[in-house]
Amino acid sequence: MALRDSVLAVWRTLTRPATFFSLGFLTLGGFIAGVAFWGGFNTALEATNREAFCISCHEMQTNPYEELKQTIHFTNRSGVRATCPDCHVPHNWTDKIARKMQASKEVWGHLFGSIETREKFVSLRRTLAEHEWHRLKANNSLECRNCHSAESMDITKQGARAARAHEQYLFTGQMTCIDCHKGIAHRLPDMTGVAQWDPQSQQPTRGH
Amino acid sequence: MTLTRRNYLKAQAAATAAAAANITLPVQAAPPGVGGDPGIKWSKAPCRFCGTGCGVMVGVKDNRVVATHGDMQHETNRGLNCVKGYFLSKIMYGADRLTTPLMRMKDGRFDKNGEFQPVTWDQAFDEMARQWKKTLKEKGPTAVGMFGSGQWTIWEGYAASKLMRAGFRSNNLDPNARHCMASAAVTFIRAFGSDEPMGCYDDMEHTDIFVLWGSNMAEMHPVLWTRVTDRRLTNPNSKIFVLSTYEHRSSDLADVSLVFKPGTDLAILNYIANYIVSNGLAKKEFVDKFVNIRRANTDIGYGLRPENTLEQRAQHANDAQVSNPSNWDEYVEFLKKYTLDYTAELTGVPKERLEALAKAYADPKLKVVSFWTMGFNQHVRGVWANHLVYNIHFLTGKISEPGNSPFSLTGQPSACGTAREVGTFAHRLPADMQVTNAEHRKAAERIWKLPDGLLPDKIGFHAVQQDRMLKDGKLNAYWIQVNNNLQTAPNTAQETYPGYRNPSNFVVVSDAYPTITAMAADVILPAAMWVEKEGAYGNAERRTHFWHQLVEAPGQARSDLWQLMEFSKRFTTDEVWPAEILDKNPEYKGKTLFDVLYANKQVNKYPVTDLEAGYRSAESEAFGFYAQKGLFEEYAEFGRGHGHDLAHFDEYHRTRGLQWPVVDNKETKWRYREGLDPYVKAGTGFHFYGNPDGKANLVFAPYEPPAESPDQEFDLWLVTGRVLEHWHSGSMTMRVPELYRAFPGAVLFMHPDDAAARNLRRGSEVRVVSRRGEIRSRVETRGRNRMPRGVVFVPFFDASQPINKVTLDATDPISKQTDFKKCAVKVVPSQMASAGEGKQ
Amino acid sequence: MRLRLLMAALAVLPVLVGAAMAADSPRLVGPKPFTEVPAAPALPAEVTDDVRKMRNYPEQPPVIPHSIRDYQIDLNFNKCLSCHSRRYTEQSQAPMVSISHYQDREGNMLGALAPRRYVCTSCHVQQTNAPPLVDNQFRDLDALASPPGGGR
Repeated sequence: MALRDSVLAVWRTLTRPATFFSLGFLTLGGFIAGVAFWGGFNTALEATNREAFCISCHEMQTNPYEELKQTIHFTNRSGVRATCPDCHVPHNWTDKIARKMQASKEVWGHLFGSIETREKFVSLRRTLAEHEWHRLKANNSLECRNCHSAESMDITKQGARAARAHEQYLFTGQMTCIDCHKGIAHRLPDMTGVAQWDPQSQQPTRGH
Repeated sequence: MTLTRRNYLKAQAAATAAAAANITLPVQAAPPGVGGDPGIKWSKAPCRFCGTGCGVMVGVKDNRVVATHGDMQHETNRGLNCVKGYFLSKIMYGADRLTTPLMRMKDGRFDKNGEFQPVTWDQAFDEMARQWKKTLKEKGPTAVGMFGSGQWTIWEGYAASKLMRAGFRSNNLDPNARHCMASAAVTFIRAFGSDEPMGCYDDMEHTDIFVLWGSNMAEMHPVLWTRVTDRRLTNPNSKIFVLSTYEHRSSDLADVSLVFKPGTDLAILNYIANYIVSNGLAKKEFVDKFVNIRRANTDIGYGLRPENTLEQRAQHANDAQVSNPSNWDEYVEFLKKYTLDYTAELTGVPKERLEALAKAYADPKLKVVSFWTMGFNQHVRGVWANHLVYNIHFLTGKISEPGNSPFSLTGQPSACGTAREVGTFAHRLPADMQVTNAEHRKAAERIWKLPDGLLPDKIGFHAVQQDRMLKDGKLNAYWIQVNNNLQTAPNTAQETYPGYRNPSNFVVVSDAYPTITAMAADVILPAAMWVEKEGAYGNAERRTHFWHQLVEAPGQARSDLWQLMEFSKRFTTDEVWPAEILDKNPEYKGKTLFDVLYANKQVNKYPVTDLEAGYRSAESEAFGFYAQKGLFEEYAEFGRGHGHDLAHFDEYHRTRGLQWPVVDNKETKWRYREGLDPYVKAGTGFHFYGNPDGKANLVFAPYEPPAESPDQEFDLWLVTGRVLEHWHSGSMTMRVPELYRAFPGAVLFMHPDDAAARNLRRGSEVRVVSRRGEIRSRVETRGRNRMPRGVVFVPFFDASQPINKVTLDATDPISKQTDFKKCAVKVVPSQMASAGEGKQ
Repeated sequence: MRLRLLMAALAVLPVLVGAAMAADSPRLVGPKPFTEVPAAPALPAEVTDDVRKMRNYPEQPPVIPHSIRDYQIDLNFNKCLSCHSRRYTEQSQAPMVSISHYQDREGNMLGALAPRRYVCTSCHVQQTNAPPLVDNQFRDLDALASPPGGGR
């Protein structure tokens, strides 16, 4: 595997001690290298924050992205649209790095085909969705609020029911965006047992 | 005025009980707004729309329908309707109802190029009779024709069949059901020797697995979908498989969605059979005992005009219907090609889904219902597709018992009852009899009390052929009833419209509203519709159900039955029958067709007073006898004792319909199975008694490609069909404001990436262009249908976007049913188009 | 003179017929002439005013007065019920699903929505602002019961 070989080569280089470079050179060089590294790192990081990167994997292209296309976060009046990272990658640095470290698991998932078919994706949909619901619940729907600020909401432009719900639950801090706005950009999983969404009262059904 | 629910239900129950007991309730005294019955008389009727055949209760006050709702007592729907059914109350009240005959006139007389002007019925019929007589005299019976409908009532279809075949001696009678059901109907005869399903809707409550083959039940049979949904959500073993060329509302409830490349369903069907056979899961003893194995002729062409190169090239275009005896080993060998790899590659369906489907069919512990509609039937290999699904049910023995059922759904309310059972196809007589069979013709002549040798023995022009013959000037006097063929036939710009406007033709359209077809005719006759006449329909589960005339038709509108019978008075036998027949049977000389066809001491046997108290029948009052009863009882003669037994006329007014064969007043839910079907003797297990040897026919056939596939220029597949809110060409539903506003115009459903690749987006205006014609539409990239790349869908309900200008008139060469699901188009932005033409 | 009157009457006739067939929208009667390719009107806007419409008769399913874009009704979830089921109506202030929907095929009353009623959009449809093509002269019971001029 090419990826593994190159990682090993880099590791070997890094673990060898310096033999014939001066301290000054190393310091200055280190600084320059640091800048270059930092720039490179950030560039690379930003590259992985572009939607094109997200949907370069067929799992993302054919499942969540395909579903997103139908929704208001993709097509709407003014053509301002949310890309994958807008909602799924935190905007501040530490959270972002933390999320990126988590993402290494997703690379693993890709390499080992854990959602390579639609069937596998669908069967994992609840788990995947729960990750995002938990994250957004924990950060008080931060990624939603990056665009939709309560302060800037003109509730007179909203439907009566939406306005009332926002006044009663959102502005009072009783609930956060994700509590009500699940499944706005992708299809929902089986919602059995999800608070406020439990289908128990919806279908007297068997499980599946 | 509001009714409380409780009182309302009570009133409803009382009314239905009263209706069942033939009592009309007196108007109850009740305080305003509170329950009781505010002078509404409730009566039962079948829904006017699809082949599901739901029962509705119709509330009438002051000669107007004021309310409708689902009939709790009707087995099919038990109180439910779909959105169209719930709005039935409004279908008759479009302000543009036709209320007087109209004829194209110039200088006070008929002129093909004149403008429509109101005329009397006599004027219209006089001109029609003149044209018919002229045509018969100059060109003979093959130059007159009629295009009927699966929306005709049973007696209308029957009266039309008599008038055309026995009166004018022409088999150029075909129903629009040809576009809709022919592949299913023809294959039922080929496989079982008897048309229509062996099972019934109750299969849904008994089965585990639902497989939808080219059927979007969620939109097209919504009330049946409620029964599927019910089963799926309450039975732990239940699963739904949906096979289609794109995803739609039925896919939303599917456990497994299989989107295949157009036409490749044939390969999937053979793959499943191969899976069953090669894994040793076939019920060989069932096949050995009850099934003959036959091999179909292949390379059979596409039902296009004979000079088309595709027909010239096809080896068996002229004997497409032939199949030859074969055997198990040959069949097994034939199937070997359809491996999982080959099938997945050809169809584009992931292997695990194909395998899951095959396993569900093969599992002896699971019951399977296969449903299909237009995806199978409107298919250049529709007959084969029907055969191949039966083959799977034969291999597994999953047939003719509750929950195991290959089940062909119908599109029209009486596709079964009228088009198929009455036999209004160009090749058929009532009760599965064929015009080419001398014995069958003889039987018909005997029942109809007509001279020997009167009935024509040549198959008439089928639907698509009628259009071609009109265009070619070989079919000249033509009457269209209850359908809108200029909107619904294929390739209309090239093959249909030219025939209607051909100066040598005279075209009459009977309709309730000014449709696109009516506007292209020479005479328009205003028709009574639905509960403005007494009627009978037969739905997809062999259920015959009746309704009474509940209100009067507006103005001079008259039912098709009255039109047919009244028109027959204008011909004498001497004018239309050969002299040698009359010389041999002088008692028929000088009589009118009305005398010999309808006043024959059978049809006119029952007095008007036989009508149930409290109801009228405009036709019966006009003719002086209970025409509906007489026609039905004469017609029922054909099937009684032959596996098509119908109950007595009056019985149907008492019940919510009965499923034939009705033997000893008991209906039959499952046919061919011992213990369930009175025609099957004890100890036989199964008996496919439609065929002389009592066996069903397993006919195998390969995958063959569609007539036209996308290429570099015309790079998309076009599929057309219906939407939930509109029924067929929309002539009724487009006039109901709520239904119209729910889906006001046709759109082009397209994958967003296909749109983006053409610089299009939702709402863009586009030209949809084929080699034959074009329309303009608007792009829809979201909503109910999820198209795969390369496939687009445009519904046909919108007369301003007549998508059938674009479709191809390729048919299944055996059933002659059009393939509306597969042709090649390109989609280009409108602006570009106008720029190209030098307009801005 | 009389002849001229008759002529005038005859001349008016086609116009009268035209009035009788006032609904000459291409969506009803097709392109004029058939060989023309009419422009396709823009997609109409959805009605989302949340205002209830009177039903034509008691068992008419009410139309949907709000947007249902992207509403999911599948084996996983039914978006409509997240407001209209009994449990959530207080929170949503949406009308509760009618109790008629709690009855199964056999006529038994259930404790929750009958599974056969799961697909809401089979009967309840959203409206667009497209103006109807032709008047519908259906009259409801009240209109018949109280004719203009006061019947009762």
